[in-house]
Amino acid sequence: MKKNKNIKMILLFLVPVAFLYISFFIYPLAFVLGTSLTEWNGISAMKFIGLGNYKKLLTDGTFLLSIKNNIIWALSGGFIQIPLATMVALILARKPRGWKTLRTIYFLPNIISAVAIAMMWKAIYNPMYGFLNAFLNLFGIEGHNWLGETATALPAVIAQTVLYIGYFMVIIFAATTTIPKSFYEAAEIDGCTTLQQEWYITLPMIRGILVTTITLAMAYGMRHFEATFLMTSGGPAHSTSVMGLVLYNKMDAFRLGEANATGTILILLGTVVIVLIRKLLSRGDAGSDSVQ
Amino acid sequence: MRKITFLVLSLTLLAAGTLFANGQQDKEKEIVLKWPSIWVGEDSKAGAVAELVDQFNADNAGKIRVEVEAQPDYDGYEQKIRTSIAAGIVPDIFTMKLNPTTKAYYESPLLMDFSKELNGGWGKDFNAGTVAQATVDGMVKSLPYEVAITPVWYNMDLFKKAGVSKYPQTYAEFLDAAAKLKAAGFIPTSQMTGGSNAWTSMLWYSHFLASFGGPDVYANPFGTDAYVKAAEVLLAMYSDGNTSIDAIGGDAGVSGGHYLAGESAMFINGPWYIGRVKSEAPAVYSATEVGPAPAAGNNKGAMVGFLQTNFAAAANADDPEKAAAAVKFIKWMTKSENVAKISAASGAMFAVKYDSSSITDELMGKFINASNDASFTIPHLEGVVTSDVITEFGQALGKMALGEATPEEFVEMLKKVQDQ
Repeated sequence: MKKNKNIKMILLFLVPVAFLYISFFIYPLAFVLGTSLTEWNGISAMKFIGLGNYKKLLTDGTFLLSIKNNIIWALSGGFIQIPLATMVALILARKPRGWKTLRTIYFLPNIISAVAIAMMWKAIYNPMYGFLNAFLNLFGIEGHNWLGETATALPAVIAQTVLYIGYFMVIIFAATTTIPKSFYEAAEIDGCTTLQQEWYITLPMIRGILVTTITLAMAYGMRHFEATFLMTSGGPAHSTSVMGLVLYNKMDAFRLGEANATGTILILLGTVVIVLIRKLLSRGDAGSDSVQ
Repeated sequence: MRKITFLVLSLTLLAAGTLFANGQQDKEKEIVLKWPSIWVGEDSKAGAVAELVDQFNADNAGKIRVEVEAQPDYDGYEQKIRTSIAAGIVPDIFTMKLNPTTKAYYESPLLMDFSKELNGGWGKDFNAGTVAQATVDGMVKSLPYEVAITPVWYNMDLFKKAGVSKYPQTYAEFLDAAAKLKAAGFIPTSQMTGGSNAWTSMLWYSHFLASFGGPDVYANPFGTDAYVKAAEVLLAMYSDGNTSIDAIGGDAGVSGGHYLAGESAMFINGPWYIGRVKSEAPAVYSATEVGPAPAAGNNKGAMVGFLQTNFAAAANADDPEKAAAAVKFIKWMTKSENVAKISAASGAMFAVKYDSSSITDELMGKFINASNDASFTIPHLEGVVTSDVITEFGQALGKMALGEATPEEFVEMLKKVQDQ
């Protein structure tokens, strides 16, 4: 009787969440999947064309370049941003003088609008008046049109995002505070250097959090849109295009069937990349899931 | 005593009830029209439009009330309208740009067709040909309102300082003037490949298309000779220092910024930019003249002009009173004297016949002269192709300007998107 009552209560609590989840995630997802198989401009009737939109996208050079760029974004997030954030977190965890101020400074960009940051970097990269070229010129180094050259545009946009490590740094820093101090004391008695302590104690102890942050950073990379849209609109010559931007442009042109096919590919690829990376990083670490 | 108290209370309740009922009745009678408008905030037309809305509301008090929903961001506004129509919810009144992408709106039965009202005499209020431009399959679901021309703006002070006595009329003269301007330390032209449509360069390209292809250039298939030749000239604008080094990847801020700063000698934009130049760069404003682009092809004196903004409204098929109220308001906004007020306050040009003698702005006067002097006028490229072709325009232009594509390949990139 008590068990039945519990089930009823559980169902009662689940219903609102399930309703919201079905209404605002499952239904839209099914709608996106369904309409991705149609030719539709959002106003006139839909026309079923099977996998036509997918075929078109997967033979379009710009879209394939966008997939490649998204993967570069994801890898940069996971393997440049997170190592940088880890390095800073480990240094701050040693509580050097002014560590609290530094922690705040590193985190500050996260409370500033992404639009403002993108605009600021656009000004920094300006080849005529930007700070970066002026700085390089001081050392006799010739400047570039950072956002206007195909070779430098993508790294320039990625750099202005990846450099902001504060969000992940705070998560990793919090994880380091859970490691008992006695581990380090014992290691010190055994003659371990600071680097050895970080390598053999800290990193293995926060492995679960590292996997989580890498996953998150890569997920952000796969769905990246804002900075590219604001700084380059995907240019020059599509060199910075990403799937989110392709989706936006398709919607803007009322090609909603193609836009939804782009969205579906984005979801599928994102899921595959995230699952793969988690499998890879969690290999040989049975407890990593429980740590997270 | 009790009886008196009961009587007073009853009377009070009765009076309150009657008043409430009357109030409700008045409210029920009043038709409220929601108008998401871009002519708000810092927009040059904001003040005059607000005055006209207030006056309309005062004249129709208790019957019709127009409520303006401020939407100062142009791109955001267009997105909102598109999403609303796609979702089947059309604002009571709104404005739109008519182009091949937004022509899809005409497929929606939710939009009002003004053709009946226009045929009833209202159509005579509009300049010749403008209603025809807004007619699709016999329907007029977007009423022509604001028009614009986008001539070349040139800074005569910079020309004089560089030793160029007059604005170049031909391509050869342009190259000669550009060489002198560069020697004097000025940037000959403002260009941009960035933004959603590479606006300034797209307008330069449209001028060259007119020059090479004549008034019917858009009737020719994409990729024919005029498109390639115009691309060759556009490439020359990006070569040999004929534009700024930040033009590739640059947006409207970059392109307009160089002109405002008195760094570039030639720039293209519409009359809506006059207010900004006047307030932010008065010296540049005083030195600015406008005219057609130097003739690179056989056609001289061509101008690029188009319907900038059209009025549209919800069909309100199930509420004819509301539909009639919307028509009444749009008729008010298109009244000759009201259009003249907005024009005088903002410098904007309109598709409605009105007396423009009240326009006192010197540069606006030059715009009107340039429009009158044009040998013919064609729309800009953005007005005749779908938005994905224009998105591609900036990307293809960047590729060509970086030396990664020839003019033929540039045109081919655009054609490929159009053929999709």
